[in-house]
Amino acid sequence: MLESLKSELEKALDRAVALGASYADIRFQRYDYELIEVENKALKSYSSRRLSGVGVRVVIEGGVGFASTSDLSQRGIGNALDNAVRAAKALGDRGRALKVGEVNESEVTLRVKTDPFDVSPEEKVSLALDANKAAWTGDEIKSVVTRLGLSKDYRLFISSEGGEVAVETPLVGLWHQTVARVNGVMEMVGDAESLCSGFEFLKSKDWNAFTADISRLAIEAAGSRTPPPGTYPAVVDPEVVGLMLHEAFGHASEGDYVYTGESVLSNRLGDQLASDLVTIIDEGVVEGGYFFPFDDEGVRKGRTVIVEKGVLKGYIHDRNSAHQFGVESTGNGRAQDFENIPVVRQTNYYMEPGDHGFEELVEDIDFGIYLRGRGSRGGQVSIGMGTFTFGVGPSKMIRKGELAETVRGVVISGLILETLKTIDAVGKDLKITTSVFGGCGKKNQMVRVGDGGPHIRVRRMTVGGR
Amino acid sequence: MEMEVAELAVKRALELGATEAEAYVQRAKIIRVGGSEEIEDFNTVESLGIGLRVVLGRRIANYSTSILDEAEVEGAVTKAVKIARVSPEDPDWRHLNRRFGESQAQGYYDDSLEALDYQEVVEALELSLSLVRDYDQRVKPTRIFLTVGVTGVSIANSYGEGCERRETYVVASMRAKAKGGGLESTGSEYQQARSWREIDFEELAAKASSRAVKFLKARPIPGGRMPVIIRNRIFASILGVLLSGPINADWVQKGASPLSNRLGTQIASEDVHIIDDGVMEGGWGTRPFDDEGHPTQRTSVVEGGILQSFLYDNYTALKEGVESTGNAQRRGYWTTPQPSPSNLILRPGGVSFEEMVAETREGIYVEETIGEWLSNPVSGNLNATVTHGYLVKEGELTEPVKGVVISGNFYNLLKEGIELVGDDLEGSMNYYSPTVKIRQLTIAGK
Repeated sequence: MLESLKSELEKALDRAVALGASYADIRFQRYDYELIEVENKALKSYSSRRLSGVGVRVVIEGGVGFASTSDLSQRGIGNALDNAVRAAKALGDRGRALKVGEVNESEVTLRVKTDPFDVSPEEKVSLALDANKAAWTGDEIKSVVTRLGLSKDYRLFISSEGGEVAVETPLVGLWHQTVARVNGVMEMVGDAESLCSGFEFLKSKDWNAFTADISRLAIEAAGSRTPPPGTYPAVVDPEVVGLMLHEAFGHASEGDYVYTGESVLSNRLGDQLASDLVTIIDEGVVEGGYFFPFDDEGVRKGRTVIVEKGVLKGYIHDRNSAHQFGVESTGNGRAQDFENIPVVRQTNYYMEPGDHGFEELVEDIDFGIYLRGRGSRGGQVSIGMGTFTFGVGPSKMIRKGELAETVRGVVISGLILETLKTIDAVGKDLKITTSVFGGCGKKNQMVRVGDGGPHIRVRRMTVGGR
Repeated sequence: MEMEVAELAVKRALELGATEAEAYVQRAKIIRVGGSEEIEDFNTVESLGIGLRVVLGRRIANYSTSILDEAEVEGAVTKAVKIARVSPEDPDWRHLNRRFGESQAQGYYDDSLEALDYQEVVEALELSLSLVRDYDQRVKPTRIFLTVGVTGVSIANSYGEGCERRETYVVASMRAKAKGGGLESTGSEYQQARSWREIDFEELAAKASSRAVKFLKARPIPGGRMPVIIRNRIFASILGVLLSGPINADWVQKGASPLSNRLGTQIASEDVHIIDDGVMEGGWGTRPFDDEGHPTQRTSVVEGGILQSFLYDNYTALKEGVESTGNAQRRGYWTTPQPSPSNLILRPGGVSFEEMVAETREGIYVEETIGEWLSNPVSGNLNATVTHGYLVKEGELTEPVKGVVISGNFYNLLKEGIELVGDDLEGSMNYYSPTVKIRQLTIAGK
């Protein structure tokens, strides 16, 4: 089926050129997704989704038009092409010019032992049910939800320049959330672990221990207080480092925001923006991260150094922002699916490890806080001002160089360019994670990303709370 | 054509042994136009998909696919029946929705959006961009976005009576940035409507630009506790984040809602009235029937501060032995129906915004925030970072304020915190509120 479709798509590319396109590309995608949800010891839903279609992009006299359709018939593809041409013509010469150049021909499939869609529904349901039951650890537990997520994303890119790249990425994981109540206080803690892998990852882990531990944390958090608001020295765990870097710095390093001047990082190349202990990388293929060897514009996604020893070295680009800056695309042109155009997106964004052990980070703090990501509620930033606000998970106060009581409802906020300068120690560990249950949103598109880093120490972090 | 596919799927499911079946076919035509200083993208999407719910006794399975040819639908039904067979029984399952029909909902469809002229769209956005550029030398547009959606839904289930509806949506947003005297600031604004002519591109440009310029000199202020006036749209968003979960019957039945066991009790002060109005003219969540085919309605959620009702879909209603409130929602054809607010409205009071400011000796007016969705609906902890606010002194809006965090407990706020309820209802997606004045909130500042 794929071969005949491919020849249909190639014909459409030829027709685009005949209609006056100076460049055209077509992306075909076939996406399979299953989500199994177990709630309070019973299967709540088993949903299975298949999505496929094509997106057509054409450049006509500078105008870029795009159209997509889930109708893969010859007529459907023809309609999409016509719509794209109409859109390009309506734009006139306003479009976003593209840096063309790198032409790749490649086919990459992440090898798996067991295709998650070959596993029987029974086996998947029983795994999720068992993990859910294990989370009922006591009377404090009020509600527990467990989800099993499995996906397989096949993407084919072909262009009028002769590019042809096909990538297939599997991603599976388990998400769990417990609501606990202690002395009238309710608290909710959720966490997930995912990996670009076949079903073998789901079979290899003790999920019962995983969910029981989340319940333990929810009970502990419900019985704890919020921290007194103030500014503290903080040890930050890899998850919060990843979240902070991705949201508050990563987005600001995206070429489109930099070009428009919206980003605090505009015109800052070569400046010392962080402590010299800080090196920040965006990389397509890393352990624990989302597997992304090529982007949705057929460009290889390698390793991009954003910050080296505190100095801003570069931005991330798609073909459009690369054109605007007169550089090569860094392979960061990504689309949620075939229905969307690629825009500049991060892949796996992380801080490189340093040389401190965890105890060394904590022992110099007389009174501070250990910020933990597990159970975090995400965050929001203003890339123009560099401000960030994150609700992190249940954390611990640090007293006299040691971890002390648990605190809940911890909200951190600050200015990223100030926070990065006050990093005075970087741990030697490194943890990068991705998720099959969510991702990063920008311009109404969600893509899978990875982020992380080592444990770090920050001299000043503003902590809100009640 | 969609209804035929839906009916075929239901018929085949029954033939394969299903005791009940429901098919939900969604067609969407979406135009997205966006850019930064100029318009850069013009994208169109045409999508079609089917979501199936297949029931064998009390075993339920869901399956969806974007491929609608006969062979794929056949395959989808077969797989759904297979999944249902291995699913454990849900003891709370009764049956699929059996009550069909249309409410008096108005203003959810604008046929002029079916064949929108691409050129006209580009011109409207061009005008808006040029108005930002011309507003002031210090300001320029940095992001513009327009989404136009035309959707069609066809629902068939084994109890008969197919339902079909068409709906339209338009959202336009603008962000502007100002630079001057070594300072920088941004200003954003958006408009939402169910028809094309309701969008005012000139007003969009004027609001984003003026806000950006005014906030060049914005600063954080020292923290403390003080009265806070919250703009209608911001409070609407807070209402959505903090209340839509707790009044969802599904949360209540699971024990995850802090409002479980509070029905009939005072959860807010006497002048707080909250309704879920599925028939509000032109509302963002207005439609004649919900995503199970049940007619929409008006439901009083809080009346005079007393909790009156939760919001139900068919499943949660039957589980409790009550009537569905017509709040079943699918976020897409591939998701399962869940109870969700249609238009959740905090009923306006009689105080104008000007009066509210005039009678405030000292406080802040919150115009734009980020991060309010980090607030915790279970504990009621409310947190939001104010990106655009004003210090109120002696009854007047004075200097602009940014970068302070407001926090408090939402349930305490509903009970004793709301001092004044404004008369200016405004929506943030399907959440609606007038401007409100809160007696006191904690401000974490400089």
